[in-house]
Amino acid sequence: MKMEDATRFTERCINGEPASCSCACPFHLDMRSFLSKTAKGRWNAAYKELRNAVMFPVIVAALCDAPCRGRCQRTIIGDEAIDLPEIESAVIKYANNRKPESYFIPPKTKSVAVIGAGVSGLSCALNLSHKKYSVTVFEKENGWGGRLHAETGRLGTEGGNFSTETDSSGRHASFKDFDDDIALQFSVIDNVEFKYNTEIKSLDELNDFDAVYIATGAGGESFGLIDSWDSELLTTSSPKVFMGGMLCGVSLMEAISHGIELSRTMEVFLQTGKAFTAHSFDRINCGRYLDHSDAVSSPIIKASLDDGYTEEEAKQEAGRCLQCDCEKCIDACEMLKLFNKKPKRIASDVFTDAGSSTLASRTLTRETYSCNICGYCKSICPEDVDIGALLQFSRVSRLNSGKYPAALHDFWLREMDFATTEGFFASAPKGKEKAAYAFFPGCRLGASNPDHVLKAYEYLHNKYDAGIILDCCGVPAYWAGDDDRLNENLEKVRDSWKSMGGPVLIFACASCEHVFRMFLPEVKFVSLYELLSDEEGIVSLKIYPEAAVFDPCAARYDDGMQSGVRKIAVRSGIEIEELKEKNRCCGFGGHMQVANPSLYNEIIQNRIGASEKPYIVYCTNCREVFVSKNKQCVHILDIAFGLNLEQKVPSLQKKRNNSLEVKKILMKEYHNTDFNPETYEWEELKLIISEEIQESMEKKLISEADLKEAIFLAESFGDKFIDESGRMNLCSLVKPVVTYWVQYKTVSPEVYEIFSVYYHRMRFHKDR
Amino acid sequence: MKELVLKKTVFSYQGHSFSHDVYTCPQCGKVLIPKELAEGRIAKVEEQLEDK
Repeated sequence: MKMEDATRFTERCINGEPASCSCACPFHLDMRSFLSKTAKGRWNAAYKELRNAVMFPVIVAALCDAPCRGRCQRTIIGDEAIDLPEIESAVIKYANNRKPESYFIPPKTKSVAVIGAGVSGLSCALNLSHKKYSVTVFEKENGWGGRLHAETGRLGTEGGNFSTETDSSGRHASFKDFDDDIALQFSVIDNVEFKYNTEIKSLDELNDFDAVYIATGAGGESFGLIDSWDSELLTTSSPKVFMGGMLCGVSLMEAISHGIELSRTMEVFLQTGKAFTAHSFDRINCGRYLDHSDAVSSPIIKASLDDGYTEEEAKQEAGRCLQCDCEKCIDACEMLKLFNKKPKRIASDVFTDAGSSTLASRTLTRETYSCNICGYCKSICPEDVDIGALLQFSRVSRLNSGKYPAALHDFWLREMDFATTEGFFASAPKGKEKAAYAFFPGCRLGASNPDHVLKAYEYLHNKYDAGIILDCCGVPAYWAGDDDRLNENLEKVRDSWKSMGGPVLIFACASCEHVFRMFLPEVKFVSLYELLSDEEGIVSLKIYPEAAVFDPCAARYDDGMQSGVRKIAVRSGIEIEELKEKNRCCGFGGHMQVANPSLYNEIIQNRIGASEKPYIVYCTNCREVFVSKNKQCVHILDIAFGLNLEQKVPSLQKKRNNSLEVKKILMKEYHNTDFNPETYEWEELKLIISEEIQESMEKKLISEADLKEAIFLAESFGDKFIDESGRMNLCSLVKPVVTYWVQYKTVSPEVYEIFSVYYHRMRFHKDR
Repeated sequence: MKELVLKKTVFSYQGHSFSHDVYTCPQCGKVLIPKELAEGRIAKVEEQLEDK
């Protein structure tokens, strides 16, 4: 696997990307980090963050016209923008350690000349000197500050949207403060030489330097290079000469930013001989706003002191920051919340997991197999990032590389085997070989309630002359990441469909439809509920006065299916409630129940809690999941056909029997043939199972047939343990993936009372 | 019928193997895994090995 194979799933994810305000900031200050530190009163840390981004915090706090405020997402909910300049001033005021850091880095041999000791030249010189380049600043005036110094009284009209007297918020900005700020930042620097009263008349004077930065200010000397200036790289036609700042027509703040950016570009040039930006600022996503519909309004905090905020006021104002970062998927998905990893991190873990055994794999296994693969994250993501698809990719990759815990999906793959062999049946309409329509009910519908298939098919056969295909779409193999098995099944399904003349398939199961939509696009289909909704002849039953429709995750993109179900329910007189979050997975999706039982239960409880009203569902799995947790719930086919309201979920064994019964009835009724299912010797055994044990078997996905087989073999070959009383027996049945154990007593010949059932996945090796 | 004896038995799962003392039939070598062991320690180790 290549890194890109995994990261392509999350490359559009905007989590962790700069907020809109940071994109608008000339210095790209990380507002989220700066304001969160400030809100906690971590003044020194906040000051350091500010200083590292802007170089001269006092100058910037006083003079920046704060374009960030125009992009503050508080404004979209009607609040005033965060008062960043006031917060910056407070941070400077309350930080008690403002001394710049000095790093022990070996001096570099390369030297740089900076022409102009204005803010742009100074920020470039300061940054390069921190990296231990030897820097010489040439200034024609007698001191630093450039435009700040020389045009103190006129800056308000020429230099930008500020005044040196007071700005619009009343902040005082004097040259003394700026002078102190510059002196402070250079106080730990010993490799910058300032040459004042030195006007450079020709660049030839600077031939000894390895690079030159022309920052001569507005209307300054460009040495004839202004026409060749590259506004992105700040380069000129002369390879080692760079240019930026107000000379190039930018504002004072952008001039400082030029100096900072250029110091980085220049370093790359000094190291490689080529100028390019190793790190470019995102200035194009200033308008990328997030959804703040749940945000609470909070009024701006006004400063109560003459010189700005009190500490508490600054903390409160910083605390108004919405910390704009997209975490929609994590907020919405129980699984993502549980594992608490950002999407890009998950992608990187999926990649590292594909290598040899790593620490990443340890957390990823459970995560990979805990996903419902329901697509909800994608449906709410502003960039359509699908973490489910990423983890599905991980499942496939793990299976192919042998890192597949087979026990997590074994039960459903065995169910799939059953549905595609013993449970399979395909027939054109009575007396015909081809069909224009065929009903594809899916393997769970008839297993859960035979009437759902029988009644629906009776209607479809009479009205649409439809054939029928009892089969499994292959979703268990898909969710297991078993592509080979999935493809093999798809071929088989395609053959059944073709041999019936390629009919339009009528789906009752949204998951089947989803699989066909993904893998068999040549098949045309329609939803059963859509057909039923137009059928005035069907008298639907008003089971509840009001109910909420719980749309399955797989029906997310099928408007016809969704509206059909509503039409049927409304026609029956039921008042429908729409859930706030639509097409959430009930918990069944992805077959994650075995991998993460506690998460599975949490998800079900959350879905049940979405409405106090009973649910109308149209996915058999949703129905079984909810009914098993005592949620009042009815399948739309019960409403459509006025069926009995048996709330209980059939046992695993009963479901298999139901499937065979459906097949038997259909074969007899529409094909006039008898179906004699394969029988096993142990089927004749009678088991006495308490409700409690039955419930635990359902949870552990152990079926009665496995118990019967185990007891039959134990009794036939005496292969069992007997306790001291001589009455209690214990036997085991080793299946390819799981070993079952049954504790039982013989009540009478072929009648056994079950006392305990359990299993393990581990193999033990008999040693004689 | 024979009384069971504790015997070192090799277990394997997910490509890892290790041994543990469990009750075994001295005659046929059949291993008995009680419920407490299966749903307790074994289940825990299975989960750990799946997560490796």
